[in-house]
Amino acid sequence: MYYIILSILFPVLSGVYLLVRKEMKSRKNLLWTTGIFFVITAVFVMLALYTWEGGIFALFSLTQRLPILFKVDEVSVVFSVMAVIIFLCAGLFSFEYMKHEQKEKRYYGFYLIAFGVLLALCFAGNLITFYLFFEMLTLVSMPLVLHNGSREAIMAGLKYLFYSLSGAYMALFGLYFIERYGNTLTFSPGGVISSQAAEGHSAMLLCIAFAMLIGFGVKAGMFPMHAWLSAAHPVAPAPASAVLSAVIAKAGVLAVVRVVYYIFGASFLRGTWVQKTWMVLTLITILMGSVLAYREPVFKKRLAYSTVSQVSYILFGLSVMNADSLTGGFLHVLCHGFIKAGLFLCAGAIIYKTGKTRVEQLRGIGKEMPVLMWCYTILSLGLIGIPPMCGFVSKWYLAEGALSSSLYGFSWIGPVILLLSALLTAGYLLPVTISGFFPGADYPYGALEKKEPSWFMTVPVLALTILSVVIGLLPEGLIYYLSQMIEKLI
Amino acid sequence: MDFVQNFPAASILLCLFAGIISSGLKKKAARRVNTILILIVAFLSTCTLLYTMRTGEAFVYVMGRFPAPWGNEIRAGVLGPLVALFFCVIMLLSLEGGRKKLADEVEEEKTFLYYVLMDLLLASLLALIYTNDLFTAYVFVEINTIAACGLIMIRQNGRTIEAAARYMIMSLLGSGLLLMGICMLYDMTGHLLMSNIREQVIYLYAAGEYRIPLLVTIALMSVGLAIKSALFPFHAWLPDAYGYSTVSSAAILSSLVSKGYILLLIKIIYRVIGFDVFYNSRIIDVLFAFGLMGMIFGSFSAIRENDVRRMIAFSSVAQIGYIYMGIGMGTQAGMTASVFHILSHAATKSLLFIAAIGLTDVSGGSRKLVELTGAAYRNKWAGAAFTVGSLSMVGVPLFSGFISKLLFSQAAVQNGTKMLPALIVLGVSTILNAIYFMKTVIRIYTPVESGKYESISFNKMKLYCLTLVFFVVLNVILGVSSQPIVDLIEQGLVMFS
Amino acid sequence: MILLVIAIPIIAGALISLIPFKERRHMEVFLETWIVLNSLLVLYLLVHRPDHVVTLANFTGNLSIGFKVDGMSMVFAGLVSALWPFATLYAFEYMTKEEHEKIFFTFFTMTYGVTLGIALSANLLTMYFFYELLTLVTVPLVMHTLTREAILASRKYLYYSLGGAAFAFIGLIFIIIYGSTTDFVLGGVLDLEKVGDRTNVLLLIYVIAFMGFGVKAAVCPFNSWLPDAGVAPTPVTALLHAVAVVKSGAFAIIRLTYYSFGTTFLEGTWAQTTVMLVVMFTIVYGCSRAVKETHLKRRLAYSTISNLSYVLFGVTIMTPLGMVGALTHLVFHAVMKISSFFCAGAVMHQTGKQYVHELDGMGYKMPCVFGIFTVSSFALMGVPGFAGFVSKWNLATAAVESGNRIAYGGIICLLLSALLTAIYMLTIVVRAFFPQKDFEMEMLSGIKDPNWKMLVPLFIFTINMIMLGLCSAPLVNFFTNVAAGVY
Repeated sequence: MYYIILSILFPVLSGVYLLVRKEMKSRKNLLWTTGIFFVITAVFVMLALYTWEGGIFALFSLTQRLPILFKVDEVSVVFSVMAVIIFLCAGLFSFEYMKHEQKEKRYYGFYLIAFGVLLALCFAGNLITFYLFFEMLTLVSMPLVLHNGSREAIMAGLKYLFYSLSGAYMALFGLYFIERYGNTLTFSPGGVISSQAAEGHSAMLLCIAFAMLIGFGVKAGMFPMHAWLSAAHPVAPAPASAVLSAVIAKAGVLAVVRVVYYIFGASFLRGTWVQKTWMVLTLITILMGSVLAYREPVFKKRLAYSTVSQVSYILFGLSVMNADSLTGGFLHVLCHGFIKAGLFLCAGAIIYKTGKTRVEQLRGIGKEMPVLMWCYTILSLGLIGIPPMCGFVSKWYLAEGALSSSLYGFSWIGPVILLLSALLTAGYLLPVTISGFFPGADYPYGALEKKEPSWFMTVPVLALTILSVVIGLLPEGLIYYLSQMIEKLI
Repeated sequence: MDFVQNFPAASILLCLFAGIISSGLKKKAARRVNTILILIVAFLSTCTLLYTMRTGEAFVYVMGRFPAPWGNEIRAGVLGPLVALFFCVIMLLSLEGGRKKLADEVEEEKTFLYYVLMDLLLASLLALIYTNDLFTAYVFVEINTIAACGLIMIRQNGRTIEAAARYMIMSLLGSGLLLMGICMLYDMTGHLLMSNIREQVIYLYAAGEYRIPLLVTIALMSVGLAIKSALFPFHAWLPDAYGYSTVSSAAILSSLVSKGYILLLIKIIYRVIGFDVFYNSRIIDVLFAFGLMGMIFGSFSAIRENDVRRMIAFSSVAQIGYIYMGIGMGTQAGMTASVFHILSHAATKSLLFIAAIGLTDVSGGSRKLVELTGAAYRNKWAGAAFTVGSLSMVGVPLFSGFISKLLFSQAAVQNGTKMLPALIVLGVSTILNAIYFMKTVIRIYTPVESGKYESISFNKMKLYCLTLVFFVVLNVILGVSSQPIVDLIEQGLVMFS
Repeated sequence: MILLVIAIPIIAGALISLIPFKERRHMEVFLETWIVLNSLLVLYLLVHRPDHVVTLANFTGNLSIGFKVDGMSMVFAGLVSALWPFATLYAFEYMTKEEHEKIFFTFFTMTYGVTLGIALSANLLTMYFFYELLTLVTVPLVMHTLTREAILASRKYLYYSLGGAAFAFIGLIFIIIYGSTTDFVLGGVLDLEKVGDRTNVLLLIYVIAFMGFGVKAAVCPFNSWLPDAGVAPTPVTALLHAVAVVKSGAFAIIRLTYYSFGTTFLEGTWAQTTVMLVVMFTIVYGCSRAVKETHLKRRLAYSTISNLSYVLFGVTIMTPLGMVGALTHLVFHAVMKISSFFCAGAVMHQTGKQYVHELDGMGYKMPCVFGIFTVSSFALMGVPGFAGFVSKWNLATAAVESGNRIAYGGIICLLLSALLTAIYMLTIVVRAFFPQKDFEMEMLSGIKDPNWKMLVPLFIFTINMIMLGLCSAPLVNFFTNVAAGVY
């Protein structure tokens, strides 16, 4: 039981330790220390997941009615495992990448703290605990965004901060009301709204639910509060962008899952204007993200817009509220997590090695770093949703869920937009591959030199690629696991 | 008849005699006579006050034992002696406070005249307070006017003469109107003695006769006295008269003379016209409205002023407005508040004048506010006293101004229709008061680099400091234990009619 | 006993300017001893509460100057007496760079007594009396530097405060006339028989009096004195213009609302709506101005304006829960704001920098100060785990519980303001800890954290902010009891 606390406290404390201690003598020491911290954290998380026996672990009470408590359920498992994998991969990647950035110690410090806070978020057992760490996550991940200290980065960091906080406060607004109209703040599948207290107030509660959705949706980059994402993710160092896009944006998804399925309950929202509006918003975001990504020339920004679009796939799945769409949504959480982390790491490696940031500069890149670009291509195909990659499975479920939903109109508009967006995804990801491997006849082959990065960089990317392929090929076990969980929620 | 009953008449006569004797005396002797006179009158008033408090009713003293309607009567309740006593104290303190300045400003050989005028002034004030005869009142109003003119003019420079001329014209206009009122009353009722007129007025009013002449009479007398006591908008004479005359005169004029007229008005309301009759004429609303306007405009003028003496003078306009507002409320409580404010304002305003002179003296004699910067460090006592006076004016608890504000507001609350305007104007005028008084206080406590003007120590001005201390004590007494005084005033107002 | 705790600081303050101290140290020891002693006395007094009213003097009729210790007094007196010794300690260090400190300490100490007078007063008149007195003793503190700016600021302060008191006075009069007594009784003292059909007039008067006392609590549109008064030395700004003076305004409004007019009379009327709207507007207005402001202390002053209105928002909910919320924020904000002001003061003291844009990279040179500043920013924003969250939580849940539609709007204002708070506080933090890439650290050489006299109060406040955030239950229970009238 106490492993939960350890897995949260250990990274946080070790991060704080890194922040406050003096500069280490050599870079090697720093890397070793950080590496050990990573591994220990991962071990703690695994132990926490294995030794969990059900029940709730109450730490203490903030006020009389606000206990801080933790528990592990299926959602926690999915999210925390993904977080650990991606954090480790990106961490390994940054050992090499951060060479060309300053203030590494500070970076690793906040990286670890963000890791711990994110784990806490996964394990949070009630809404107030969740909110606490949600706000913390914003605060501790901001330094990752503004790490390089350029004016642009600082502005982006602040933008991130203020968007996220405004989202958090919208959620807090709802929290106040749930405290009044709910039986408890503890997450329980099927919702906690007390029908007795909510009698006659359902219109207001729907408004509250909507506010919370929008609020938590900020972190997931949902329209209309998406503008921070494309500014903040690209300016961070590449491994940090990977983490931000792949995991921290998912914290918003996690929040939405918790609010919709564990606080309000699917039955409370199904068929209401909130569900419909939410769906519309996610569809808008999907399309808009793709279009923006398609038009974006800067590589990392393009990936960030892609995140905007892809995370809304997940949200769309959640908003349809039937078993298939939820399965699709949760699968896409994992797919998108691994793929997007991998893509950002690729982009990072390219920047690290060549300094090229714009898409049109990447001609012939496949000749220079073939391993990396192969990974990139496979990952791209996954994101587009070409069978048998994992993106195909998740999108299949999403589309099926949408088609079988009883919502008039959405059942066909949804899949159409998904398809459209998939085309656009192909349109914005594949040109890099194409011009990378087939630069054309006028490419100066003579000046070509091998720039394959060191194994610090290639191994994480490879690992993520393999993971995404494995999920695509063998999804049955995962789907079974998810369907058990989803049964409780619907 | 008790012996004490002679005292009011005796004090008036004493004052007249003292004036006459003083005119033949040298400066020092005249001063001594004046001081002794004031002390005696104070003593006599105290005796009368104690006597009436004990008997619990007013007494009528018939001059020379000629019965009405031929004779002349004096009537004293609780209020009369109380006010008389208070006036004596203020006059004494004001004279002491301004003594030094007087020597500077008035020519040596004319000083005795100053005391003669002062004696006459006291005589007329006492007469206004005590008399029960309308015509006597008129006569003493005139004496009062002339004495006051003299007091303004005795410091001879161009401005005072101009101011005195202005004062004279306005005052005479006022007394003229008053005289017309008295004539009409006499015409209607055939009496000059207040009590007799009242009976007749009640009879006439009940019979419904002479409605319009009665109304005109009330209007004439009210306006006449309002002009004399500088109610807005008849205040044009006031700033110059108070601002340029010698300081004791200013203090006495603002705190005693104008108040004498107001007392007379109250007396006319209660004893001549009758409260109900007066209340039913719409004149009372006019007074109320002008009172409110005076409160606001007086303060605004004071804010604009950058001469400290004129500023205090304009503040008087505002304070007179308070008093008329109280009268205009037409309730017993309002009247009580007004009478209390007469006392409290007298104590505060003379304190301010006297303190201001201490401050200007250490600023090269300049009265411009700019020059006063840091004056409170050069003359610490005057600075502190000025601060106390200002706080009292603003209505900070512990000082007399607070109690009058309290009483006014309480009176206002009990009055249905006039409540809101009164309360709002009270609030606004407090802010305005705060603006100009506190601005000055902050200025005098803002230090400047030393050396420009010399500072003055306690040893050089013992008497002056003592006066200030007395003033402050008086102020605090009024502010802290006001209940007995308020009780006396209420009792006195009942006896008045 | 009650009189003693009020008198000791006033006398001690007066003694400072009278006794010729040979060394500065002597004065420090003398003053700190008395203040600590007094604080201990206050605490003793709060524990062993005398249950009768101590009457000092009779004004007129039934109006008297009297003192009593009830729940509200305990809260405010406790708060003030807990903060004062630390602020004095801080002031010793801070004032080494300012002139004529004797006058400063005289009035600074006197203010302690007067504030206790407000806290312990038993009736409206006494409170009004000390309220006016508070204005007067604090004016010299604002004027302290004697620059033109300071004098204009103190003038403005004086006009606003006295003017506000003039309108509050009207409320006092109405309570005298229409109330059964002027004493503070939880639930109000209005005599409904006397009120009769003049309900609307009384409501109007309530609004007027609210705004009158609201001047001290810096309610919009009467707030502009507060940022200007920031020219005073920082201990004054921190303790008086974030705690003692402005909280006196809020305290007075609580007294007026809950103890004089009574919530049963006011709840659900247009008067409640009006004041609530005003307060809500102030919450947002203060924050927005703070965001725009570049002078550090003025920014914090605007933040105070907004936070005071949080307290008032709790008051205007007019339920016991609302009062609990108000009291919680009254106390918690005091700790948070005083520590952020002290940080600003420490920066000014060590470096003379006053503007936000001068703070780049300072976090590396003054890690303690800016660390504490960060904590207080989080607390002010209302990050869970820090004090501000609990008070906001109490306020918001009270608003939800009241079922008042406008109060729901108030919650939105609270959250909007929390966001703005994040903006104006965290931009400073970010500047201090994450300077831009091309920033030259050498420019800051020689700057370091202040000495223990400044740091000790800061650390204690920081610990408090976190402690209050983590286990506020005992205190909140106490407030609940106060609001329920147990004491």
